[in-house]
Amino acid sequence: MNRTARALIILAVVLPSLQASGSQEAAAPGSLPFAFQEYRLRNGLHVILSEDARLPLVTVAIGYGAGTLREKPGQEGLAYLLENLMFQGSDNVSPLQHIAFVQKVGGELNATTTLDKALFYETLPSNQLALALWLESDRMKSLVITPAAIDRTREDLLKEHAERVAADPYLGTFSEFDSLLFPDHLYGHPLIGPRMSDLAEAEILEFHKTYYVPNNAVLCIVGNIDAGRTRELVARYFDSIPPGLDSPSPPRPEIRRENDAVVRSVKIPVGSAGFHMGFRFFPLQAGDTDCLRILQYVLLEGETSRMRSRLLRHDLTARYLTGALDEKPSIATLKLFCLATNAVMVARSEKGILAEIDRLRSNAISQDELIKARRRFKKDYFDRLSTNLGKARFLVDAVFAGKRLDTLGGELDAVVSVSPQTLEAFAGKYFTPQNRVVLEFGPQ
Amino acid sequence: MRHQVSSRRRAGPPASQTVPAMGLAVLLSLSLPAGAQERFRRTPPLPDAQRLELKLPPVLTFALPNGLTVATARRPESSVVTLQLVIRAGEADSPPNRPGLASVTAQMIGKGTKMLSADYFENMIESLGAQFSVTVFMDYTVMTMNVLGDKDLVDRAIYILRLMAIEATFSERELAAVRRTAYWQLYESKKDPEVLGWRQLLSVLFADHPYRVATYSEDVVKFITTRDVSEFYGRYYRPGNAAVLVSGNIDGAAIAQKVGSLFGAWTGPAPERAPLPPPPPNGKERVCFVEAPESAAATVFAGNVIMGSSGQDFYPFLVLKQILGGTTRSRLFMNLRETKGYATYAFTEMEVFGSCGIYWARALVEPASIVPAIHEIVGEIGALASGPAVPSEIEEAKSYLVGSLPLRFESSAGFAEWMARYVALRLDPGQWDKGPEEIKLVNAERVREAARRYLLARPVVVVVGRPEWLSQYLNDLGAVEVYDSGGQLKHIKGEGR
Repeated sequence: MNRTARALIILAVVLPSLQASGSQEAAAPGSLPFAFQEYRLRNGLHVILSEDARLPLVTVAIGYGAGTLREKPGQEGLAYLLENLMFQGSDNVSPLQHIAFVQKVGGELNATTTLDKALFYETLPSNQLALALWLESDRMKSLVITPAAIDRTREDLLKEHAERVAADPYLGTFSEFDSLLFPDHLYGHPLIGPRMSDLAEAEILEFHKTYYVPNNAVLCIVGNIDAGRTRELVARYFDSIPPGLDSPSPPRPEIRRENDAVVRSVKIPVGSAGFHMGFRFFPLQAGDTDCLRILQYVLLEGETSRMRSRLLRHDLTARYLTGALDEKPSIATLKLFCLATNAVMVARSEKGILAEIDRLRSNAISQDELIKARRRFKKDYFDRLSTNLGKARFLVDAVFAGKRLDTLGGELDAVVSVSPQTLEAFAGKYFTPQNRVVLEFGPQ
Repeated sequence: MRHQVSSRRRAGPPASQTVPAMGLAVLLSLSLPAGAQERFRRTPPLPDAQRLELKLPPVLTFALPNGLTVATARRPESSVVTLQLVIRAGEADSPPNRPGLASVTAQMIGKGTKMLSADYFENMIESLGAQFSVTVFMDYTVMTMNVLGDKDLVDRAIYILRLMAIEATFSERELAAVRRTAYWQLYESKKDPEVLGWRQLLSVLFADHPYRVATYSEDVVKFITTRDVSEFYGRYYRPGNAAVLVSGNIDGAAIAQKVGSLFGAWTGPAPERAPLPPPPPNGKERVCFVEAPESAAATVFAGNVIMGSSGQDFYPFLVLKQILGGTTRSRLFMNLRETKGYATYAFTEMEVFGSCGIYWARALVEPASIVPAIHEIVGEIGALASGPAVPSEIEEAKSYLVGSLPLRFESSAGFAEWMARYVALRLDPGQWDKGPEEIKLVNAERVREAARRYLLARPVVVVVGRPEWLSQYLNDLGAVEVYDSGGQLKHIKGEGR
């Protein structure tokens, strides 16, 4: 009797329920694992509050609809520049004092610019909630943008970007891959680039005036708070900030389907070889995102996921493989990043990935595999919501994605209810050469 | 955003705590003339009087007859349960001729048993939706499995953890795969100047200490055999040298019973080991240069050996570290970036091991400013050692430390990491969640004493950068030991000057 067969018998005795279904795992259907309340101030500011008394902490997150989608051709880097100018002082907070105030009380803060928004957040002791609101409201109301601050910030950002590119030989390939994946300027242009130097003061001010207004923002407060007292503080600091003009809805790009897979190659200054591979899914229909979320787990999450297992464990053609689902308005992409030792292994790894895609299209995913993916998805979902910041980002992301917050509780159920047949049909429809983009890279 | 920004806080009168009723506030705001601002905006508000109390769920610990420690902590709000197998052996326990053995052995756990292939075993773990990871610290190793909180899944995960701990076997095939992965990870890590600097600092500070074995590069892992792994496992993976930790929304008693019944058959004595003495701090002027040909800027480290976490100086030193370089308001950042413009950033860190700890300053420096930046860093360390910290600096550092500590325990991962450290290093129960109280008790005298004890000795300096910078920018230094990115000494520049 071989080892595997013996193992199966022993498991049958010891773990009779190992392959049982996950029927006991279901949380209360249709509800989020935490409560929240939302409302709007008179100036249009969308406010979301959620109480969590576990630790003496509070997270204040504020998102502005001022992401890279708002940049016009020639304005690449404007959204990122504005994000950083938000730390350059306002009427009552001197340049760079925002950071100092938060750090002084032991808080952590950061900011990020994505396609749809610029997000600013700080987590600090909960008795300092008023401080965070004071800081955020002051820069919302009275950000001071001077030519000197623009020059200094721009110079710092370009310098730091150059340092990052020099330190990470693969970094440049990511933005190159994005421009290949999304030929349209709206989605395909990088967060930062040399054109940032050409931005005029007037267009920077105009961008700020248009998008950094309360009626284009979401304020989310999560943590050890009293909702009544927090409402009072929010009113105190934000209610009198005048609204801006209504911002037009962000534009949507035109996405064209190619006749065949797009494959390009570039040189990098190190000895490694590898590739990016992406699959585009558009136009998205109801339920498509649920399919993709599960497929991402089937293909790429965990050591036994199909692609990782094949390339890293069995074929041994790659030494690194990772993947992520990128959800944008009207289009989603599954992006893979793979490192191999040389061009031959790159070719074999690409072939292995495509073989797994073919398998996906021609064979239904087994129940066991599906249960595994569902459980892991669910675990990661709860992990994401285990911190105040995780919850705040989840809620703010949802608002900017145009979702109704009272429907969010149903998302998890929708994902874990996707059937093998639905997945097979989805794979057959979308995983076509016309939706595939590849960027190979290798040594100069 | 950039993290490298700061300037001094503007002085201002304390803000009023009075909050007008909402309607009144609205009326006031609407009645303001154009260009005027509400009074409450002019100064930062004071904190609420609410008492900030860090209260972590208690860790319930007991030992099985075979010596295995079982620890549980109930976190009712958590949907995920974390199971950990802690082995009190880490990088420092690898034999001198087999650096990396502790890490490779840990990676081999979960790669099959006598009855189960590695593939089957991995599938068994992942079929639970569980995520498995291994972290090897200097003195201990943690194998972590996160799984949804359903009792059935948790029970199965505990069983799998038992298989890993008790029935691990080590095949040539799996070892080859683990060695290959380790090789590439170590190879890639050499592109990171921070890793190179950290490794060099450790290898100098622990030159004659067992901790030096933790500073290895990718070349050494290929020599590790299945026999080495079996011997390491046989010596250290023993119940008396291990702990099983479970945290999450659990019934602690039921979990403890389950662990007891499954792990009770694990046998074998704990290895006999004398506690490691701490090494003496560096006292000599010593500068190392590690070549990193792709660097855009120089990474400068300066550090030395300090006390462990149980000493009386631990909390005062935390305050010192904060004053020196904890945030963008600290001395190093203000001096090197804001005043002198030498560095993009400059911070301090500390890490505490079983027998001692180390602190280090870390700065990203313009190549042309390497030498003056080193002088400033060493000067700031010396200034804090010889002159007292300003009371306001001490209070601000304490405020930061007390305020930021809860952030560490917010996520399941953060909580579990601290629990593993607490159990692995057998920390005093007072250290579990009493850090804020201890920090509040730190006074200027204790800070001064800690500074005298640990900052007076001259720190070791490590610079990571392009080889050509040596002749371009480092001529003003004395002897500079030059190392390649694998940590091998190439030559000493300026020796005998």
